[in-house]
Order: sequence, then structure tokens, then C-alpha cells
Amino acid sequence: MPLHATSRFRLLALGLGLVAACHAPAGRAGESAGDEFSIRGFGTLGMARSTNGEAQFTRDLSQPHGAGTSWSPRIDSSLGVQANWLASPSIELVGQALSKYHADGSFAPQLSLGFAKWSPDARTQIRAGRIGADFLMFADSRSIGYSYLPVRPPVEYFGQLFFSAMDGADISLSFPLESQVLQAKLFAGRLHEQAPSALGMWDTSGSKIAGIILSTQMDALQLRGSVTNLRFSHNHDLAGFDQTLRQIGTAYGYDTAITAANALGTKGTNSTYYSAGFVYDDGPLLLQAMFNYIRHQTNLFQNSTAAYFLAGYRVHSLTPYLGYSQVHSNRRYSSSGLPDTAAFAAVNEAYESVIASSTLQQHTFTTGLRWDLQRNLALKLQWDAVRGKPRSRFLVSHPSASWNGKTDVFSVTLDFLF
Amino acid sequence: MYSLLRAALLIALLCLALPARAQLVVIVNAAAGVEQLSKAQVINIFLGRNREYSNGQSAVPLDLPASSPDKALFYRNLVNKDLEQMDAYWARLVFAGNTSPPRLALSALDAVQQVSTNPGAIAYVERKDVNSSRVRIVFSVGGVNN
Repeated sequence: MPLHATSRFRLLALGLGLVAACHAPAGRAGESAGDEFSIRGFGTLGMARSTNGEAQFTRDLSQPHGAGTSWSPRIDSSLGVQANWLASPSIELVGQALSKYHADGSFAPQLSLGFAKWSPDARTQIRAGRIGADFLMFADSRSIGYSYLPVRPPVEYFGQLFFSAMDGADISLSFPLESQVLQAKLFAGRLHEQAPSALGMWDTSGSKIAGIILSTQMDALQLRGSVTNLRFSHNHDLAGFDQTLRQIGTAYGYDTAITAANALGTKGTNSTYYSAGFVYDDGPLLLQAMFNYIRHQTNLFQNSTAAYFLAGYRVHSLTPYLGYSQVHSNRRYSSSGLPDTAAFAAVNEAYESVIASSTLQQHTFTTGLRWDLQRNLALKLQWDAVRGKPRSRFLVSHPSASWNGKTDVFSVTLDFLF
Repeated sequence: MYSLLRAALLIALLCLALPARAQLVVIVNAAAGVEQLSKAQVINIFLGRNREYSNGQSAVPLDLPASSPDKALFYRNLVNKDLEQMDAYWARLVFAGNTSPPRLALSALDAVQQVSTNPGAIAYVERKDVNSSRVRIVFSVGGVNN
């Protein structure tokens, strides 16, 4: 795993510095120092291989390369260190540095969390700074393998979510009712990440995100729903294709081509995420089912619908689990705006390939076993049977022309806390 | 058939009764104004879902060290989970920057001491360790209050 030690420590220092610099030490009588300041960590050593070499299997869109036909530690391995400082009974400072396979192809640690949390009372919590984005349930803990059952969150459901944090603020309000707790969370912020895709690198930094999450906890059952809007601040780099289409439209007098080129833009367009689901977590039994719908204004991406179901049952230290996840996208009617003639065949073909690059039509059957070897150490073995159409290419990396949409992925991970 | 059922019931009762030997109780400060808590309230407080009493007072839960068998017994009886499952639960909340786990008491004695001096503190200890008039038992773990 190519860890860059210098930048790793620089970013770790940044995270810790954020915590330490904001407030002077403020000890309270009757409390141990260990309670007020803590450094903890989490990590995953993972190996995965895919049986189909015509594309690389990735965990999500943030990964520029994936696992191929030989065992690779790339997609699942990570290491995170977090410092918490309870500066006062109601104010906590949190900084987290995370080394994982990033969009730039490195494992260089980045500041994954860095915020101040204020809890004026037991029902209210306000966070400001770099905070986790959890409008898809559990999306803010995707890197913490120890915290969940399977090797990785279902790719069909979470794979399109290329970012895990935002720079902004959120407020959580709890409303206890008898044995039930209702919770509402409002958040707003800006993204800071890059997203690689088959079309090129996409700078999403500065994109505005805002949304609301509503949930209720009734004994072992949690229900949750959310709506989130993302407004992109930059166009996707299409390797000049949109510019070419615009120039051809101008040169040959086809305004429709100029309109089509503009409709491929992402700058100023909205993408809306709707999600709903439940978790039933009762002793040894865990059931989860989630649904999401993503609607894009830009013609560049296809709207998609995804769902997953996961069931596990713990027997002593072993938890076998089964999962099913699926996603499909809908190609909207759009064309290059140029006539379907031989003269424009190459441009029309290129347009179709740009539009087709976000196609999703696949499902995965997951079978796995989590073995808690000891406290804070879990071994997981998993088999994912990915079954998709050949045109389902959005969530895999570098698919060849003969990618048939099907592969079997075998994974082994060791998840730990320290 | 009935004798089979009776035997099954007896075994089930024995299974329930065995872990309760330590007689764990949940205690709060006597001045907190809390007479009794339901099992759901105790779960909400210790799992960080809602840390307040019915009267609006904030609750500050205390955990025993993992070396204490009472800690495993408490979570086994409360939510039927072992400590590895609780570790996974807290890993998700802590490393996503959400709720923090209960603060750690050094021992049962320390827990009773902290509850007796802090109006919001709440802890689980063995009934025999409750030796202060400044704390009140508000829930018997695995007892009749659920």
C-alpha cells in the first residue's frame, strides 16, 4: 500500500491541530484527562479480485482504478485516525485523517472530518466544519469496515456517491415520544472532492449541497427518509467533446447541437437524491433495506433507482449474511442535435457514447461471513455475484468493449479498531 | 406436548435467570428527580439515542471498564448484544463524528461515586454496590420494570 508518510503526518497534524488550536485546554474537576481528549483509529486490510478482466471492480465512483483478476488491496484498504476533545460539557472538537484509495490514485491521508460540535441541550446538536454526509444512511461510515457487516457497502446503492464529507454545518433535533425517538437533521455545505470517471476528472469542489433527513427509532426498528439537493459549481471535463459539438453546431448552423452541448453541462445544474429505508437490529438479527432515487438535471447523467437488502444473524462470534442490491438507470430522450447523416456519424456516435457512459443495469447477490476474532478485530469473507447488462458501465472502471456486465468478486478483509 | 412445553419454558426461564445473578441495577442521582426509567429510556440513554430524563434533565451515562463482566452482562440483558457488537455500533457513531459512547468509570465504586456527586450521571452497577443514599435505583436490569 503506497502510503506517503510525509503527507500522512502533515494531514494528521492538520486534523489534530484543528482540534488543539481552537480552544485552550479546559480541565474539569472530577474527570479524567483520558475522557476529555482521546485518539482512536480504525482500519481495514483488504484484498479483492474480480473474475472478469474486461473491467475493474470499484467500491464507488471516487476510485480511479479497481480490482482486476489478481488480488488487490486497493479498493478496500484504509486507515483512519481521529482525535476528539471535549473542550467543555457542551462543546466537542473532532479531527480525522483518513488514508484510503483516493480520486488522485494515491493513499495520501486527507482531512476527512474536522468540526466543532455544540450540544446546547440533550435534544439539539449543531456541527460546523468538515462533516460527514449521511443523507444515504450509513454513507458517513463507509470507510469504517468494522462498523458494518459486509466487506463494503453495497456498490449498487452507494457506488454513485463519490463524496463522503462536506464543508458546512448541520443541526440535529431529537423529539422523544414515549419509547420512540424522532430525529430531524438539516444540513448545508459545499463539496471539496474530485470525481474521476470514464469521461475525465470532475472537479466538484464548491458544489452546494443541502438537505433534510428524518428518522424515527422504535425499539429495534429504525425508519429513515431523506431528500438532498446538490448544485454543481463546475462542468464535467468531457475531453473537449461538448466544445466540439458547440463548434460544429455554430459552423453548420445547427442551434439544436449547441443546445445539446449546453445540456451536457453540469455547472449550475441540480441533482436530487431521495432515499428511504429501515434497519431492524435486534440482538443477533440484523435486517436492512434501503431505496434511493437520483434525479439529474444535466443530460450527462442518467436518473437512477437503486435498492438493497441485507440480512445477517450472529451465532457466537460468527455472523453469516446475505445481501441483494440492484440499480438501474433510465436513458432520457436526447440527441446530439445534428442530423443522422454520414457526415455527422462520428459526432453522433461520440454523443451516444458520452450519454451511455452513466448507464446502470445490474444487480448483485452477496454472500459472506463476518468472524469477530476478538474485540476490535473482525475477519470477513465475501462473494459478490455481479450480474448486469453489458451496457452497465458506470460503476466499473475502465470497461473494455467486450465487458459483459457480469463478474464474481471475492474479498477478504481484516477490519480493526485501535 | 404440555410437558414438553413446560420443560422448554423452564429451560427458557433458567436461561433468563442465570445471567441475572449479579442483579444489575441502573442508578441515578437522588436529586435528579427521576423515580423510575423504562427499559426503552435506559436503552435510549446508553445507546446515545436520546440522553435526557422525562423531566428534561440531561443524562450523562457511565460505562464500566470492559474488564468488568458486568459490562457484558448489562448490554446482553439490555439489547441482547455482546461487546463486539457494541464496539461496532459505537465505531459507526464515533468515527462518523456523531454521538459519543458513555464516559468510562474506573470501577463500580467510581461509578456510584460519580452518580452521587453529578446530578445528570447514570450508571449500572450490582445492587450490592449501591451503598449511598445520594443515588437512587431506577431500573432493574432484566427485572420487572421493562
